[in-house]
Amino acid sequence: MSYIHFPVIAVMTLFMGAFLTVVLGRHSKGVRSFIALAASCVSFALIAMLVKPVMIDGEIISYWMGNWAPMSGYAIGIGYEVDQLGLFFALLVVTTILLSAVYSIRYIEKDSSQDFYYVLFLMLSGSVLGLVMTGDVFNMFIMIEIMTFTAVGLTAFRNTSFGAVEAGFKYLVIGSIGSSFTLFGIAVLYGQCHTLNMAQLSAMLYGNHSPATLMAFALMFTGLAVKSYIVPFHTPAADAYTTAPSSISMVFSGMVNKAGVYGMIRLVYIIFRTVDMPSVQTLIVLFGTVTMFIGVTMALAQHDFKRLLAFHSISQIGYVITAAGLCTSLGLSAGLFHAMNHTLFKGLLFLCAGAVLRSTGTTNLDQLGGLSKRMPKTTLCFLVGAFSISGLPPFNGFASKWLVYQAAYEKAVTTGNIFYAFVTVTAVVVSVMTLASFIKVTQAAFFGQLPARLADVEEAPGLMLLPMYIMSLLCVGTGIFYDKVYQYLLDPAVRAAFTVSNYIDRMMGDGYAEAAGVEDVFASNPHFSYWNPVIWLALFVIVFCAAYICVVTSKGSRGQILSDEGGAEDGKYATFFSGEKALPSHVAGSDLFWGFKTDWKGYFRVMEGLHSGIVNDYALYVVAAAAFVVVFTFAFLR
Amino acid sequence: MMMKRRLRNKMMNVNYIASVILVVMGLYTIITKKNLIKVVLGMGIVDYGINLFIVSVGFNDKAGATAPIYNMTELLGQAQATGVTQFFVDPVPQALTLTSIVIGACVDAMALSLVIKLYKQYKTVNTDEIRRLRG
Repeated sequence: MSYIHFPVIAVMTLFMGAFLTVVLGRHSKGVRSFIALAASCVSFALIAMLVKPVMIDGEIISYWMGNWAPMSGYAIGIGYEVDQLGLFFALLVVTTILLSAVYSIRYIEKDSSQDFYYVLFLMLSGSVLGLVMTGDVFNMFIMIEIMTFTAVGLTAFRNTSFGAVEAGFKYLVIGSIGSSFTLFGIAVLYGQCHTLNMAQLSAMLYGNHSPATLMAFALMFTGLAVKSYIVPFHTPAADAYTTAPSSISMVFSGMVNKAGVYGMIRLVYIIFRTVDMPSVQTLIVLFGTVTMFIGVTMALAQHDFKRLLAFHSISQIGYVITAAGLCTSLGLSAGLFHAMNHTLFKGLLFLCAGAVLRSTGTTNLDQLGGLSKRMPKTTLCFLVGAFSISGLPPFNGFASKWLVYQAAYEKAVTTGNIFYAFVTVTAVVVSVMTLASFIKVTQAAFFGQLPARLADVEEAPGLMLLPMYIMSLLCVGTGIFYDKVYQYLLDPAVRAAFTVSNYIDRMMGDGYAEAAGVEDVFASNPHFSYWNPVIWLALFVIVFCAAYICVVTSKGSRGQILSDEGGAEDGKYATFFSGEKALPSHVAGSDLFWGFKTDWKGYFRVMEGLHSGIVNDYALYVVAAAAFVVVFTFAFLR
Repeated sequence: MMMKRRLRNKMMNVNYIASVILVVMGLYTIITKKNLIKVVLGMGIVDYGINLFIVSVGFNDKAGATAPIYNMTELLGQAQATGVTQFFVDPVPQALTLTSIVIGACVDAMALSLVIKLYKQYKTVNTDEIRRLRG
């Protein structure tokens, strides 16, 4: 039974690490790195040890701080409660922390004030880990606030680089509006229920909504949506992912926005249990679909490597939200699976972007090219990530996106609602556009001609490549053994989200849920339509090896270094150039798909106008969306 | 059922109206003012509005609210004897408000320090000119 202390110790280790970094690590780089790495490893090990009792044996861990257990049916103290859903997200968080800590050692070695970097990094990690395991709404708010501050600090960490401080300020303004909405919602809820414990709130609010609790729902929903950066709250995220150090961009997209997603799932599935209502499903799916589409189209218009990845990150979160909002067991499995895969492949892509930035000094796609010659290992990792996010079989992105389409289609069939059919089509189209966009990045940065300026760039050091390899392996592994992932991680988490009474009873005592009239609605097990990933893998490996060998070893003009005078001689085409030299030139990022962009000129002009960079406009979107959610809640929730 | 009781509001409570007005004023300031310092002030006003709301939630002047210094047996005994369960000021919102005030102060400090940095880099505090990252 000693493992009931593990969740709290895991969170405390990270915060203690942050403290020790300041006290002991001010002057020594080795001590700093060691503390960060040790704290990350310890919390990873502690959370990993919970997999056996929680995921496999199906136990829910409850922990009362200072042993302030509930009295007379009222929760008094602050409680931690780790159910399968929370542990699922906690696993994502600790994996991200550990890999990012390893990557950071070499990545930030040239930056100044690294001790502050590690302090902020460890506090950010601790707050997100605390957020996904807490059982108290106010504690959740505190963790959200710590998360926002440290994230702002890390966004502006390289404060002399282009736009970093600006991005930090915008993040702070939008983030604190979101936190304020959450706090307002919590206050309204406390006024109604006189408790802050999630389990007790869940028991009280089950099918028992008054106008005040609906208002609280709308406010908390908006506040947590701001933290998951779905459209229209995505504007600071795009800036922050771009300007933060890449190890932190990975943390942002791997766990900080997952914390918002977790909060939304916890809110609609457990605390309010409003997700059974068709109107709430429509609301969430609507947000998710708009996020998918706007994210991916904005990504097509970008010229900066990391900003492009940032908009893709937003777009993929749209998939997660859409699938989770369907409120079927298949839908939630798809959403959680895609959340996990998004952590893996998007983290990998950001790490590759970081490796490129560290080696070449730029992330502008128009200035890169032909890096596969000089950085073959990074290229390989990048391709794995790009194939995963574009949903090619047998990578993990394919498995989860397939489940998303299937879940949305199933919903369309069972409800007969044309809206969900539209959602399915949008999801497929967005996936195609993601692939198109990654063809552009691959061509612009890694293939094609190498500019003379980049002729002697170096491959990233081994300590940076290690996390990239691990994530690549995980991307392939979770795609091939998706059934094992489903059995050990997704299925328990989905069951936990649908069996509210277990969550309540474990915290408040047996029979509490029944007394409050809580009934579980567990839908049947999802049926996957089966595909065989192994055959796909064999086919893929053959094609990929052939292509990779062609690209890396070819002797032709491809991958050539462009000299300043022009390119190589090629007698074959001399006739067509009237004896003049043919100039091989690099097809840069902005040239590919220019036809598509010209066709959609009007749309892109509107979108660029909306992403104006003015903080007042961004705040206006948040407030307008909050007003929309409030009006929607009062008009349609019954 | 005891746990499902509602807050009985016999008269309109002016605190709640004032707090909502403060929040709306703060949001209006953030949306319309072009000066970064004023945007930060707007964030502060939103915080004050919410703090006022939380304190108002806990305050209850029915049945002579007093300081919340009781132990659980006294509390339950008196509740059974008098039938009134809310006869003291709820201590939890006060703790929440203190936390929230501290957080609000941190937000303001951090935002102002970022404004100083921004002013040094951009030589302006006008939001219309601080937009290098866009599109």
